[in-house]
Amino acid sequence: MPKGYLLMVLHAHLPFVRHPEHEHFLEERWLFEAITECYLPLLKVFEGLVRDGVPFRLTVTLSPTLLSMLSDPLLQDRYVAHLGRLLELAEREVHRTCGTPFHPVALMYRELFGECYRRYCYHYQRDLIAPFRRLQEAGHLEIITTAATHGYLPLLMLQPQTVRAQIVIAVDTYRRHFGRTPPGFWLPECGYAPGLDDILKEFNLRYFFTDTHGVLFAAHRPRYNVFAPIFAPAGVAAFGRDVESSKQVWSAREGYPGDYDYREFYRDIGFDLDYEYIKPYIHPDGIRIQTGIKYYRITGPTEHKEPYVPEWACNKAAIHAGNFMFNRQHQVRYLAGIMDRPPVVVAPYDAELFGHWWFEGPRWLDFLCRKLAYDQDDLAMITASDYLAMFPCNQKTTPCASSWGNKGYHEVWLCAANDWIWRHLHWAGCRMQELARRHRGADGLLRRALNQAARELLLAQSSDWPFIMATGTAVAYAVRRFKEHIANFLRLDGEIEGGRIDEGFLGWLEHKNNVFPDLNYEVYAGG
Amino acid sequence: MSVLIPWVLGAGVILLLVLAAIFLWLRKPAPKTVAPVVPREELAQELAPPPQQPPAPRDSGRPREPQLPATYGADRLVLLARDPHWLYAYWEISATRQEEFRATFGHEAWQASRPVLRLYDVTPGEQAPDFLEIAVQEGADNWHIHVGRPDHTFRAEFGRRLPDGRFVPLLVSNVATTPRASLSERTDEEWMWLEELYRAYLRTAAGVSSPLLVEEMARRMGVLPLAISSPPFTAAR
Repeated sequence: MPKGYLLMVLHAHLPFVRHPEHEHFLEERWLFEAITECYLPLLKVFEGLVRDGVPFRLTVTLSPTLLSMLSDPLLQDRYVAHLGRLLELAEREVHRTCGTPFHPVALMYRELFGECYRRYCYHYQRDLIAPFRRLQEAGHLEIITTAATHGYLPLLMLQPQTVRAQIVIAVDTYRRHFGRTPPGFWLPECGYAPGLDDILKEFNLRYFFTDTHGVLFAAHRPRYNVFAPIFAPAGVAAFGRDVESSKQVWSAREGYPGDYDYREFYRDIGFDLDYEYIKPYIHPDGIRIQTGIKYYRITGPTEHKEPYVPEWACNKAAIHAGNFMFNRQHQVRYLAGIMDRPPVVVAPYDAELFGHWWFEGPRWLDFLCRKLAYDQDDLAMITASDYLAMFPCNQKTTPCASSWGNKGYHEVWLCAANDWIWRHLHWAGCRMQELARRHRGADGLLRRALNQAARELLLAQSSDWPFIMATGTAVAYAVRRFKEHIANFLRLDGEIEGGRIDEGFLGWLEHKNNVFPDLNYEVYAGG
Repeated sequence: MSVLIPWVLGAGVILLLVLAAIFLWLRKPAPKTVAPVVPREELAQELAPPPQQPPAPRDSGRPREPQLPATYGADRLVLLARDPHWLYAYWEISATRQEEFRATFGHEAWQASRPVLRLYDVTPGEQAPDFLEIAVQEGADNWHIHVGRPDHTFRAEFGRRLPDGRFVPLLVSNVATTPRASLSERTDEEWMWLEELYRAYLRTAAGVSSPLLVEEMARRMGVLPLAISSPPFTAAR
């Protein structure tokens, strides 16, 4: 019996970025980069562990918008084209860097992208959901879901029916891809507000995650701090994030990803190389962008950067995995001494941190899983479901409204940069409920319009837009996306109410914003 | 046909732009809806959102960004808890309601009165019907309000104060509760069994048997005490 448990969660999510109206759309690259740098490398790690018979147990969220994009033929085609161009660039780089210290790194990229191409096109046949499903069925991953478009639920709770819709559609999307009911739920941005647990309960979602103070500041002081879950009043378990394990991985300064031997994210040949040379591989309008080929290591707190040395970085990833494990062992040994049950250390991360921001992240995870399996007996990896099966009796109290955003509450999604969106979101939410109630059982064109109105509302609700507005990068895109979806919604609302649905416009929207094809607007009508 | 759609859309957009330009040119400057910092009154602290910068078009080849309506012709006041110390309120008042106000208090009453946002602490168990009043900027349609009271419940009212001092409420908000900012002082504990497990167990016990369920229960039997009356944890710490 281990002394304690490590519950690691990788939350994979991207907003719905699909733009059939343009051949080259910058923001679609978010998806392409995440596939190349995160999802494929993570799958490779998981499958390597399976191949070598290493026992491991991880929780993974695949957001409904991400599932929709990964299974979308247009985006699949575009990804293959993108990867083709990247491979061509990597090939040119191998020749260009001949005889320079960058050559080994160029070779690394050529190998990396080539492997991505082979695995994506031939091994997985463009379907990245199937390997995740297989890993779940083999008992290595527990895959959970999150709100349909990652809506920030605490601020949508003004209209619980719109929250219910976010959850119903998520659960339906999950069922379609994984053939079962999701066991738990990732609250977008760990955003919790009392009452959310009642809605989760309706869909048999048995657990969710909060930030540390979500559990720690519960209405009744939790006996075990965050090292055991609590039951929210509806009987859904809340697992609180452990501060220590988060900081070691997350923090840019104190955390592992800032190590000087690791790859420098901000030095990309898309910005560094001669314009004429790089032109075919950046945006056709000449906008310089990240290509994914980066030759430098972080080196130090200086502008001057040294070439990346893959072996050094790999060595550091092993050291950091060992350090992480050592700290967790120390932590659970201490906690086990003062608790009357084995502690569970909850360590949730954005999956996109692994590989994209922290290039060596997947290697680190690989080392960590192997070390946990063979180098110690204090800790075992666990999922929330397994833990709850072992410990079905837990303290019952109301978690504290919270998020894992800056300052721990809702400010990131409700600040001077984005507070204006809520009046539109609440209005549209209200209108959608009204439309659904008034037009129950609609068919034909009206039904299509109502379903599309729901899609536009859902897309406007993405927590990503206010988040981007608050952080100040790609603000124009976020503002535009938000306004477009609200404007589309308002136009459909007007057309439905006026009884004059413009089929051409509707068809265009259905083609463009085709997320959740099986969606049924009647979820907004309520009981 | 589908080739024509972008052209038709494009033509529509250009037409709209022209109409919008004419409309904007003819229209009087709209009242600013952004609240600047005003001198503090009573207990309130206000945070004025800085003016929204219109985002630069990222790509000139694309259609213009749609403009959203500033109001929807509704009467509404919404209160949101942002964190343990701050609330956020937004509101709008329909023309109908403004007309009613004028009909009741006289034609000049709207201009003569001042907009006021009132905040009531309606935390259950709290004694006094405590409220604070914020004189908001004329034309403001939202406000960040510092209350500094974690774990309290509030309701807001928006109205106008007449020159004679009377307060005329026009809108009432939903209630909003600020989150806790610290460990709870309540250390009494209640414990709960995961209901599904309990139910599944009872179903099995009642004779409903499927191999899967039995197997699942067998796996869990070791940790599910058969006689459940109190949680297996003593009060000892």
